[in-house]
Amino acid sequence: MLYAHARSPIVRLCLCVLLTAFPLLILPQAMLLAQPAESLSTGVIPTMGINDVTEGTLLFKTNQPGRYTPAPILKIDVQIAVTGIIARATVRQEFTNPSEKKGDWLEGVYVFPLPETAAVDHLRMHVGERIIEGHIKERAEAKKVYEKAKQEGKRTSLVEQERPNIFTTSVANIGPSERIIVEIEYQETIRYDQGKFQLRFPMVVGQRYIPGTPVIVEDQDPKGLGTMLDTDRVPDASRITPPVQKPGQWPINPVSLSLSLTPGFPVAKVESLFHPIIVIPDPDRGYQISLKKDAVPADRDFQLTWSPAASNEPRATVFTEQRNGETFAMLMLVPPTQQNDAAPRMPRDLTFVIGTSGSLAGPSIEQAKASLAAALMRLTTQDRFNVIQFNNTVRSLFSSPQPVTTAAKRKAIRYVEGLSADGGTDMLPALRQALKSPEDSTRLQQIILITDGQVGNEDELFELLHHRLGNRRVFTIGIGSTPNSHLMRKTAEFGRGTFTYVGNVSDVKDTLDALFKKLEHPVLSDIQLDRAGWTALEHYPSRIADLYDGEPIVLAVKATSVPDQALLRGHMGTQPWSLPVSLKQATARSGLSVYWARQKISTLMDEAFMGTDEETVRKGVLDVALAHHLVSKYTSLVAVDVTPARPIGKSETEQPQGARPTEDQEKTAMAGLPKTGTTGEIQLLLGLLLLTTAVFLWRAQKAAA
Amino acid sequence: MITLLVVAFVLIGLWQTGNGAWIYLKAQLAQVQLQRAWAGTLAGQQEVKPWLWADTWPIARLAVPSLGIDQIVLEGAYGRTLAFGPGHVESTGPLEGSDSIILTGHRDTHFRFLEKLHVGETILLQARTGVWHRFVVRDRQIVDSRTATISTQEDKRQLILVTCYPFTAIVPGGPLRYMVNAEIVERMAKDKP
Repeated sequence: MLYAHARSPIVRLCLCVLLTAFPLLILPQAMLLAQPAESLSTGVIPTMGINDVTEGTLLFKTNQPGRYTPAPILKIDVQIAVTGIIARATVRQEFTNPSEKKGDWLEGVYVFPLPETAAVDHLRMHVGERIIEGHIKERAEAKKVYEKAKQEGKRTSLVEQERPNIFTTSVANIGPSERIIVEIEYQETIRYDQGKFQLRFPMVVGQRYIPGTPVIVEDQDPKGLGTMLDTDRVPDASRITPPVQKPGQWPINPVSLSLSLTPGFPVAKVESLFHPIIVIPDPDRGYQISLKKDAVPADRDFQLTWSPAASNEPRATVFTEQRNGETFAMLMLVPPTQQNDAAPRMPRDLTFVIGTSGSLAGPSIEQAKASLAAALMRLTTQDRFNVIQFNNTVRSLFSSPQPVTTAAKRKAIRYVEGLSADGGTDMLPALRQALKSPEDSTRLQQIILITDGQVGNEDELFELLHHRLGNRRVFTIGIGSTPNSHLMRKTAEFGRGTFTYVGNVSDVKDTLDALFKKLEHPVLSDIQLDRAGWTALEHYPSRIADLYDGEPIVLAVKATSVPDQALLRGHMGTQPWSLPVSLKQATARSGLSVYWARQKISTLMDEAFMGTDEETVRKGVLDVALAHHLVSKYTSLVAVDVTPARPIGKSETEQPQGARPTEDQEKTAMAGLPKTGTTGEIQLLLGLLLLTTAVFLWRAQKAAA
Repeated sequence: MITLLVVAFVLIGLWQTGNGAWIYLKAQLAQVQLQRAWAGTLAGQQEVKPWLWADTWPIARLAVPSLGIDQIVLEGAYGRTLAFGPGHVESTGPLEGSDSIILTGHRDTHFRFLEKLHVGETILLQARTGVWHRFVVRDRQIVDSRTATISTQEDKRQLILVTCYPFTAIVPGGPLRYMVNAEIVERMAKDKP
């Protein structure tokens, strides 16, 4: 019947319009996505930005702000000492200024990318015959030192770290063919994942090295260049003298690496993923590891993994360090490796508390729903569960945790699928509701909070947990593009649970499977360090979390005097448990004081979020950071030229440092910002199109009738 | 048969047109409510909710005198918030401090004017205290959001406005962004100049 009507030319026209309209709407989108980034690039020469650095690099400034040319590396020497879960690395790199022309003075920026948990605490640079050394100072004072030195014409640079992920320091006036040696020391925490400890040292050479690429050398500071990066070219082309590198001249960065590993427990095996190594066991249960070859090309990262030897009891190890009359210790509690799947599992009460505020609309609520669905799949018949959703009101599926039956599960899955994001974020009543269910010591009672944590009343939340938690545990899962991870971490700490961050919907299943698997097998709970025998004991974290299968617990300890034996107490299931740890025979290592100091600083910084006034926090952090030579929010590493004074021979050729030196730059990834185009236009167009088509069709029908 | 088709088209057409129009209407109406909430904020109230079920609140007033722009900026740069006004990316500093700020908004509603903003023009931002800050546009860039990053630690305080690009794209969701970079010139007295 439609076919008969379709013979009418008007109708056919309308249908054609409709059919062509849809692909046309899709096409612009495809075109946008297909547009290559290159067409927006800032210049002809392949240079790099600071964020492109994947290993320690010396960058020379070019005329384009934000773009640099890497200096050729002559050699790299790395020494790493691993103690338990901390790694202290000393990296020594030699660079050269490749230009041979006289008067080609370059300004360089030394950039070292750091993993999240790492921080540089020592720096020394040799530039030709100059020595530049870094000292930790209070932040404002550091800035004053830097300004003063700059005014006096001395070479100096300021290294400030807002967040530890990239460390930069700049050096001015590097002469032609001059050699630069940079030595830095940093400390980081080892990653533990799925039963293995992992250490990674970045060595990959950027594929940006293209033999024969000309190096742009600047004659002057690039002040007042054009501000439209996509259309301006370098204005004074005649003043650039690009020395051409001969093909193959760029070296493949030979690296020599040696490691001393003291894991703190018997290991099953030590493996290097990409490089052949020699492992020599030490008498003190450590290992000396070096690369089979003296020097290797830096074409892939160095990755070392080791795993604990099999055991079915939790083990504790301790390392100590003496510093300034105080004892610093790192106490590690490692869970048994045998997955006790045969062991009877305690029945669980699981309450899922999920945020559905407007701020989660879009992919975030999808992440939350996926998390919840994944969790529901793992429940067994001996468990009980409930789902509570909250935005500015609280709604719960059941009034209290119900046994897991097929009907209940089905109901819950439907409930979860029906969740939509709208409204405000009021988490307090939701938590209160979750904590209303009666306590039962024969069951594991776990509350899983899935939200982005965008709330203001943190103190009330922590107070509630402090008073009403009892034997229950609260685990937090952070979702959304900018979750309030401080709040979520603190909530988990108060709830004696853990915080997991889910970045992408695609990561949800894996991350949460691992989390839930872990939650099903707690090994020890209510863990405490007995204070008898200690003087002035201070340990972080102050509230020890439970020990789960597959994840060790680490305590950073400081005291003025220690007992011969420390005692750890807790509960294994319902049975009391204790474990003595001998401190007398503890292995002495360095870096423990730094680890303790960093843990203390992060605890102090957390207190700022909990209402302690900034000045108190600042004083606390300052004390610790200065005492242990650490960079923090309130202290900076100032690198001052400590070269002995020389006659002013070359000063005429040196340019005044007009442009600001490149300091550590805080970057915000653009992809993290929300999409800012509404569907308004497309909906209006589509709507109007349909209305117009309707009019035509109506007319056509009238005409045909 | 045709009648059914016509009815269907009319209904869907009205629904889509209505939705589309509502997006623009909402953007305008919200600003009216926000101006009131802003007055309250200036009077000293904290986190004034512009309407009962709002989960955001005004934190600044954005004005571009040369283009006649006067908008209220909301806290948080989430999809929902941006329907009502430009949003302040929380992980960048607050206006009262001295860190750089990133504001983001929809390219077809509140931040449409970015296209006409030239280097050298003035942007004014009023904080909750009532104090006005003057910024001057220094730079405009088109970047790919998949690879670009914004540097927020320069010598002078930066105000960065970001929106999607191109401005006239009908289908939303492309990866390009239009970024306007302005540098602080001065903090001024409480009265608007």
